[in-house]
Amino acid sequence: MFKKLISYRVPRNLLVLIDIIALLLLFAHSTDELDKFTLITGIVLIFIIYVSNFILLKISSGDHYIFLIVTMLLKLGIIMIYRLNPKLGARQVVWVSGGILIFFISYIIVKKFKKWDRLTLFYGLGSVALFLITLVFGKTIGGARNWIKFGSFGFQPSEIIKIAFIFFIASFYTNEKKFDKNGKSGYRLLIAVYVFIGFLFLQKDLGGALLFYLIFLVIQYVYEKDRKLILYNILLASIGAIVSYFLFDHVKIRVETWIDPWRYVDNKGYQITQSLFAIANGGFFGTGIGLGHPDFIPEVHTDFIFPAICEEMGIFTGIAIMMLFLILVYRGFKIAFSQSDKFFRIVAFGISVMFGFQTFIIFGGVIKMIPLTGITVPFISYGGSSMISSFIALGILQVASEELHVEEVEEHE
Amino acid sequence: MFNILSVVFKYVFILIIYLFMLSIIRLIYLDIKGISLNTLSKNNYLKLINQKETLPFKVKEAYSLDKDTTIGRGNQNNIIIKDPYISKKHLKIVKDEGDYYLEDLESANGTFVNGDKIMDVVKLRNGDRIRLGQVEFLFVNRK
Repeated sequence: MFKKLISYRVPRNLLVLIDIIALLLLFAHSTDELDKFTLITGIVLIFIIYVSNFILLKISSGDHYIFLIVTMLLKLGIIMIYRLNPKLGARQVVWVSGGILIFFISYIIVKKFKKWDRLTLFYGLGSVALFLITLVFGKTIGGARNWIKFGSFGFQPSEIIKIAFIFFIASFYTNEKKFDKNGKSGYRLLIAVYVFIGFLFLQKDLGGALLFYLIFLVIQYVYEKDRKLILYNILLASIGAIVSYFLFDHVKIRVETWIDPWRYVDNKGYQITQSLFAIANGGFFGTGIGLGHPDFIPEVHTDFIFPAICEEMGIFTGIAIMMLFLILVYRGFKIAFSQSDKFFRIVAFGISVMFGFQTFIIFGGVIKMIPLTGITVPFISYGGSSMISSFIALGILQVASEELHVEEVEEHE
Repeated sequence: MFNILSVVFKYVFILIIYLFMLSIIRLIYLDIKGISLNTLSKNNYLKLINQKETLPFKVKEAYSLDKDTTIGRGNQNNIIIKDPYISKKHLKIVKDEGDYYLEDLESANGTFVNGDKIMDVVKLRNGDRIRLGQVEFLFVNRK
């Protein structure tokens, strides 16, 4: 029985094992005040994740690995957030449960509705409208004006726009012939994308702007017929980056603290230096959960979750997380390769690229490999909008992993 | 007490995470091994619906259907599946003027197309699900 539980042939059980250990650890920590609520939420979460892995096997004929990988990431995230702040941890559990529900809902909706590739204008205009709403009603949190608040509930529209953006590019390249009246359709797309990036820049959401640009560049590299455009795109972006370095203060600060954070260790460079200290302090195996001091890092539960994990669970866990993302992105590419529907092929490709770059931007940022730009780690960071948009993206990827044409033909007959 | 536990568990954690990753990589390896690119570039093939790692015998992810094909447990078949619930000569798929017909060779446990047990010869259509023994295939016919 026990041998079967830890067998590497059934990865589902390994996930449950991790949960049980984490719960044990939690109770060793608070022996005197046994919290019933925590116990119940913990067990309910284990149950939800186990069952949803099981349901997925039954309802989807596509890929079953991406959801498994994601559940592992979720667990590491929840354990760490709960350790940092039990209140946020409990809320994260709610977000994750909601996210899994949204995953199934978006899976069903995307699968049932057939005309996704014909709504190019809707994606474009809808995103611009959302951007305008954010600009007018937006609240500034953490230096970026990208939050909309309804009372105590807030969300980041750019998280939803990310998916609309991928749909927009994908539907554009799917219907290229329709837009291509004088052979200049690529230029129009370029302008549209730069409008998106410009809005993000206005909100001071640099991480978002970088992410959108990279997604576009990669999809363009694969699908653009006019190869010169790619060169123009890179040139334009480089010029834009250099100009904005001299023009905008918040860009300048990012670069300065990247080149030499130690000079500004007491103010601007505090966050990044604390992150480096935390990673160095952990060593290979970490200090053990609850024994380190990751709470010295500001914003540790969202953008800076990675150094916290590295400190308490060791750089080996950090490397493991990177590898898990690597496998996730690889699966995404494989899904894109084997999908015969062009629209969903581009969407699957775009979403896997999105996951990949998002992790690269933030992991590279916190280990001082590239200039730090605030962006959440998909599936690990605390945050409702990020969690939900990542799960929507995952649901779409799940749809793309199935053979779509077969079912369409079935319905026509 | 907590400190000791935490220190012990951090090693256990890392061990489990890597074990988990190993298992995922193993599943993906099995998955890649099953794809032969030649088969998938063809227009007519049988695609496995079952999860491959749940089956205790060898079966490929996809089989191409160029010529007349027989499926069964015996070694003289074109597609050999060592499932104990499949008969020695289980079924035959015949191509005739671009259409495919499935014929059950009086197997013990029968063949099911879209859930119905077949008695006679049936014409296969794109997207049909063929179940024999513990295995279920999707029939793909792109014209």
